[in-house]
Amino acid sequence: MSQYFSNNENSLNTVTTVNVSNNFTVADNRSSILAWLSPLEPRLRHQDVRASRVGNIGEWLLQTKEFRSWYTGSEGGESNNAVLFCYGNPGVGKTFIR
Amino acid sequence: MIDRLCDQAGGQNAAVACFYFDFAAQKEQSPTSVLGSLLKQAVGGLEEVPGELATTYENQKKVIGGRGPQLSGIVRMLQTTSSKKPTFICIDALDECAAGYRVKILDSLNQILDKSPGTRVFVTGRAHIRPEIGRCFAGRATSVSVSPKRDDIITYLRTRLHEDTTPDAMDSSLEAAILKKIPEDISEM
Repeated sequence: MSQYFSNNENSLNTVTTVNVSNNFTVADNRSSILAWLSPLEPRLRHQDVRASRVGNIGEWLLQTKEFRSWYTGSEGGESNNAVLFCYGNPGVGKTFIR
Repeated sequence: MIDRLCDQAGGQNAAVACFYFDFAAQKEQSPTSVLGSLLKQAVGGLEEVPGELATTYENQKKVIGGRGPQLSGIVRMLQTTSSKKPTFICIDALDECAAGYRVKILDSLNQILDKSPGTRVFVTGRAHIRPEIGRCFAGRATSVSVSPKRDDIITYLRTRLHEDTTPDAMDSSLEAAILKKIPEDISEM
């Protein structure tokens, strides 16, 4: 398949176009690929949480041995506590742990 | 937690991906969309889109109308990206995910850990899904009970009182009563 890249120098935002032999022209793949992967935008919800969080709430969790072994376990072997599950009733502040 | 991980992870060149479940959005929050959104965040932090992903994207476009991504492919690509770079995955309110979807999502996360045991997964939810987590991740999971801490409640109340839009209605004895009564009541939750 003959494939070549050309920079469209005339436009201000130099769009890279990919011309494939079957005349498909794709302008900036990256954002369309990312959009295709999922319509969901959890970062938006994250912005809300961050905006309404107060100070260093939940600091205590970072001092627990469970958290520490989870956080530092990255170099460990098989049974290295890869998953940390924080459970509690609704409204106790699980979402807002800093 | 996500911000803290992002702050610290920045230095170690780690990737942090998050997801918030919501009862009201159960239908949209399917395994493919959820894992796809995690992959989207992981890839968003890379300089280049991995070749496999670009190829899969180009191939599906040849089908009339295009085709959505497949869960198996997403999991495979997450396995690859998380093996190359330290990765943190944070999932909030997993109990709000539809039960049928939850099984698949947990299983997908477990498959990622099979290939990339250094990946760190942080999950929050109500206690009733704890057995499910234990079953799925077996020896890989640790649990911590979260309850409101007195100091945190006082920090919160002080901040909110400070932001009060009608400060004239407040005096020191009312403030003292609020800071005493609310933490007492909450500690009984």
